[in-house]
Amino acid sequence: MTIVLVLGFLLYSSWPLIAQQGVAFIVGSEWYPFESLFGMLPALVGTLWAVALALMIALPCGVAAAILSAELLPARLRNPLRFSMELMAGVPSVVYGLLGIWVLLPLLESQLNLLTGRTLLAAGLLLALMILPTIMVLAEDALRGVRQSQREAAKNLGLGWNATLCRVLLPQAWPGIRVATLLASGRAMGETVAVMLVVGSIDRIPEPFYNFLQPAQTLTSRIGREMAEASVGSQHWAALLFCGLLLAVIAIVVSLAAHRKASVVV
Amino acid sequence: MRLRLPLDQNFFGKGLVVLLAVPALLLPTLVLCYIFWQAAPVLSWGFVVGATESAGFGMADGIFPQLLGSLLLAVMACVIAAPFALSTALYYRAYASHRQQRLLMVMFNMLQGVPPIVFGLCGLVVLVNLFSWGVSLLSGAVVLAIVVLPLLVLNTLAALERIPQQYSEAGAALGLSTGAIIWRLWLPESGINIMTGLLLAMARALSETAPIMFTATVFSGVVWPDSIFSPVTTLQTHIFYLAQEGNDAQVTTIAWGSAAVLVLLVAAFGLLSRMLQKIGAH
Repeated sequence: MTIVLVLGFLLYSSWPLIAQQGVAFIVGSEWYPFESLFGMLPALVGTLWAVALALMIALPCGVAAAILSAELLPARLRNPLRFSMELMAGVPSVVYGLLGIWVLLPLLESQLNLLTGRTLLAAGLLLALMILPTIMVLAEDALRGVRQSQREAAKNLGLGWNATLCRVLLPQAWPGIRVATLLASGRAMGETVAVMLVVGSIDRIPEPFYNFLQPAQTLTSRIGREMAEASVGSQHWAALLFCGLLLAVIAIVVSLAAHRKASVVV
Repeated sequence: MRLRLPLDQNFFGKGLVVLLAVPALLLPTLVLCYIFWQAAPVLSWGFVVGATESAGFGMADGIFPQLLGSLLLAVMACVIAAPFALSTALYYRAYASHRQQRLLMVMFNMLQGVPPIVFGLCGLVVLVNLFSWGVSLLSGAVVLAIVVLPLLVLNTLAALERIPQQYSEAGAALGLSTGAIIWRLWLPESGINIMTGLLLAMARALSETAPIMFTATVFSGVVWPDSIFSPVTTLQTHIFYLAQEGNDAQVTTIAWGSAAVLVLLVAAFGLLSRMLQKIGAH
C-alpha cells in the first residue's frame, strides 16, 4: 500500500510540470530552473556513470575478496574478515561523505592535477567503497552455496585450482553474484548525502560523454541540493519531485529484477 | 620440473585473486582507524555530554543535543514501525494465503529498494506541507519508520521462521486456536529474536541522513525539543552541515568527533543485537 501511496503522491505533486511541458523534458539536456528548463538528461547520465564506475571498481574487488574468504582462507581468518565487512556496511553514509570531502578530494586534486576533485570519479570511488561490503558478503554466500561435492568432483577430474574456480565455482555462483550486483547498484543509485558532497553538482553532461574527471550531477544530489531552495508548489519543486519519482521507478525496477533472479536461484 | 608448471599456474590465479582483494582487506580497518585518529583530539566525555546552548553554530564544544536528537528520532521511528511490522509478519505467517504471501514479499522487497531520499521527499510533501506538521520530530520519525519498516518486517519474519514447525503443530494438536498459538507460543518463543531485529532497525535509523534532512532537522539552536512538533538537531545532519562549512580546523575536528560517536553508536546497536542473538540461540 505504502508503495502505491508514495509513487502516487510523487506523481500527483509533480503533475503541474507534466501537464505544462509534457514528458519530453526527461531527455532534455538543459536544467535551468529559473528559465523553466527542466532537462533530466544530465542528472540521469550522471547517475548512470556514478553507478557504473562504482560497480567497475567494487565488483572485481568484492568478488575477489569473496573468493579469498570462501576458498582460500582458513575458517579462523574468515570470521574477522566478514565481521570487518559488516562493520564497514554499518558506517553511516554521511561519514563516508566526510571521508570523501576531506580525504578523497584533496588526494584526487594532487594526484591527478585537477582543478577540482569534485568529479564523477570521486563519486564513483566513494560509492564503490560503500557497496563493497554488499557485494562481498552476498558473493561469499553464493560461493559457499556451491556444494562441496562439486569441488570434490572437479578435483577428481584433475582440474587445477584456476580451472575449478573459472569452470565450476564462478558459473554456479553467478546467479548470486548477479543479484549482489543488482542490489548494490540499487543502493548506489539511491545514495544521497555522500554523493552530494563530492560530485560537484553541475548540471552538464560530461563532455565528451566518457570524461569522468568532470563535475556532474546525479538525481539524488540534485534533489538534496535544490530541495531547500525551491518554493513549495512551484515548477522547480514539481520538477524535483519528478526527479524523485524517476529515481524511485528506476530503483524499483532494479530491485524487482534482483528479486526475480533470486527466486529463480532458490 | 614437470610438477611445478601447474603449481605455478595456480599460483598466478591465487595471486591475482589476493591482489584484487587487497583493498577489501585493508579498507575497513583503514577507514575506521582514520576516523578515530582524526577524532581523537576532541573525543572525551565532556564532548559527548556537553551542551552549550547552540553557541557559535556548531562551534560549541558539546554534541549532546545532536546525540539526543538522533536517538529520539530513531527510537520514535522504531516505536511507530514496530506494531505495523509485527502485525504484518504475524499475518503473513498465520493467516495469509500463498498468493498473499508472495504479494507481500514482492511489496516489501520493492519498498526496500526505494531510495531513502524518496521517502524524505514524500514526507516533505505530505507530512510537512500537506498535514502542516512542519519540520518536526514527528514528521522525521514517521518518515524514518517507513524507511526501516521493510527491514523490520523481514527480520521479524526470519525470527518467526526460526520456531520449529513441530511446536506450532503440537499447539494445534492440543486444540489451541491460531490466536492462542500466536500469543502463547510464537511471541514468547521468538521474543528475543524480534528484539534483535528491532535493534538492527535502530542502527539503520541512526545511520540515515537523507530522509530526515528536509523533514526533521535544523542546524542548531535546539537542545531539547519542546514537543513532537518542534525540529531537532541530529548527529547525522550535524556532520553533514559541518562538512559543507569549509576547512576550518576546529570545524573539521568536531565533525570527525561527531562521526566517531555516530559510528560507535551504530556499532553498539549492531553488537548488542549480535549478543542478544547468541543469548537467543541458547
